[in-house]
Amino acid sequence: MKEERYQYEESPSYVSRREFIAISGIVIAILALPAVWIRSAVVKRNSYIRARLNGLYKDDAGSKVRVSHGNSGVAKLYKDFAGHPLSEVSEELFHTQSYVNRTRI
Amino acid sequence: MNAEARTYQKGEIPGIIGIDADVCKGCDSCKRYCPTGAITGMFGAIHSIDVEKCINCGQCLINCPFGSIYETVDTVDTVIAKLQDKSVTVVGIPAPAVRVAIGEEFGMADGSLVTKEMYGAMRKVGFEILDNNFTADLTIMEEGTEFIVRARHALFGEEAHGHKVGPLPQFTSCCPAWVRYVETKYPSLIPNLSSAKSPQQMAGPLAKTYGALEIWKKPPESIYTVGIMPCTAKKFEASRPEFASAYHFLKKEGKAGSDTPYPDIDTVLTTRDLARLFKKMKIDFTKAGETDGGPLAEYTGAGTIFGNTGGVMEAALRTAYKVLTGNELQPLEFKPVRGMKGVKSASVTLMDTKYGKEVTVNVAVVNGIHGNIEPILEKIMAGTSSYHFIEVMNCPGGCVNGGGQPIKSGGSSWLRAALPLFGWK
Ligand code: SF4
Ligand code: SF4
Ligand code: SF4
Repeated sequence: MKEERYQYEESPSYVSRREFIAISGIVIAILALPAVWIRSAVVKRNSYIRARLNGLYKDDAGSKVRVSHGNSGVAKLYKDFAGHPLSEVSEELFHTQSYVNRTRI
Repeated sequence: MNAEARTYQKGEIPGIIGIDADVCKGCDSCKRYCPTGAITGMFGAIHSIDVEKCINCGQCLINCPFGSIYETVDTVDTVIAKLQDKSVTVVGIPAPAVRVAIGEEFGMADGSLVTKEMYGAMRKVGFEILDNNFTADLTIMEEGTEFIVRARHALFGEEAHGHKVGPLPQFTSCCPAWVRYVETKYPSLIPNLSSAKSPQQMAGPLAKTYGALEIWKKPPESIYTVGIMPCTAKKFEASRPEFASAYHFLKKEGKAGSDTPYPDIDTVLTTRDLARLFKKMKIDFTKAGETDGGPLAEYTGAGTIFGNTGGVMEAALRTAYKVLTGNELQPLEFKPVRGMKGVKSASVTLMDTKYGKEVTVNVAVVNGIHGNIEPILEKIMAGTSSYHFIEVMNCPGGCVNGGGQPIKSGGSSWLRAALPLFGWK
């Protein structure tokens, strides 16, 4: 330990200017690396998210019916079974009153 | 996992996400993605997750560069056994975001839309299909109508027939991570959550009542419902004890066929899980053949964009506009709520023909709740928010980037891409 500290104090005088610049360059490059790496990872991350977002927008644009109230299967479900939105059956099966305050369980 | 978990109801799975202490390198990456500060551990030391704070979103899992985070629940083999049991009707419920991601697990390009191939492979292994997009459309009908009731109550003092009307702004409730976030951190805002269940939790009771009795003509108790989700938090949601509404509904009519309550959703597979199931069952996804999904797979463009940030809002606006004005929204695309900005907001002025008055609706869309949602919630609690309707999805980009999706930036591939950079001397 002691010897190391001794070296640390003494060695700069043994490093030439050229060497010092080279070493600084390497140190800076190492410090900068994680930033570059993280940035490229984030860019990549956004590109696959974007591809998936576009996939669903494409699905929408290519659909014959593009509004929920135009879904004939859902209309049939209301006609034959649930009645209308917020009906008693809807409230019972499709809604919940059971959100819980989890700070008090 | 944790027998004394305090923020869980009896019967719920406490903690869907765990960190493997043998693999964790203590690199701290996961913390940056966690919306709740649930991950503890010093840089360089093994990290762990506080299940009380965790909302099960899985964002840490898909972003850990060492693949050290795992799901504690894996039911692929259970589902395979059910598929092979001829006395059980297994109903698969694939979410919107699954159809633009599962192809990636079979070497297809990012974002490939593979609805027909997915149906084909699912039919081949024995699933009946109830497309979650169908219940996304149903969600819009229910949640959109609820919003109109709340808005007319707040603006015109209209009384609703028989049930109490919640306050504005109305929050969407389709993201179970977001719901748990409100329940654990902002319980005073619970009344603002839409009472509409998520599309998954509407699909369960629908399959076991209408589906069983009218479509498949099978006894309800023989239906086994499998949510197929881009999401790890959906595994938690399905385990919430109150979600046995089909059983209670049928019981009253003497049709439940059992004396022990069964859950609306029996189990949940993530997109990754479903891909693994296909591989285990030796299905070549790219060659499985294309089919239609059947009567409960009908869906619209509005239902499918539920998987995108802003999609629920856009779909709701299309329908609310029609209900209020009598006309279709033109154009249907509502661009201000699209894109990956953390908070997007917009105003729509429209004529409520019932009252003959113009109303301006202020909406906000939040994705990636980490850092984005708190200022908005503080304003609502202070009574200074001007928003009427707020869509919240926990994951950046929405469910397409959910914690159950194919892993792209995480895993060792992410790290390996950077390693050559270390090669220089
Ligand atoms: S990102 Fe993965 S390896 Fe890094 S600290 Fe978190 S769990 Fe450990
Ligand atoms: S699952 Fe989500 S909330 Fe839980 S520790 Fe991971 S990032 Fe945080
Ligand atoms: S945004 Fe979607 S994928 Fe992410 S936690 Fe919420 S429901 Fe799950």
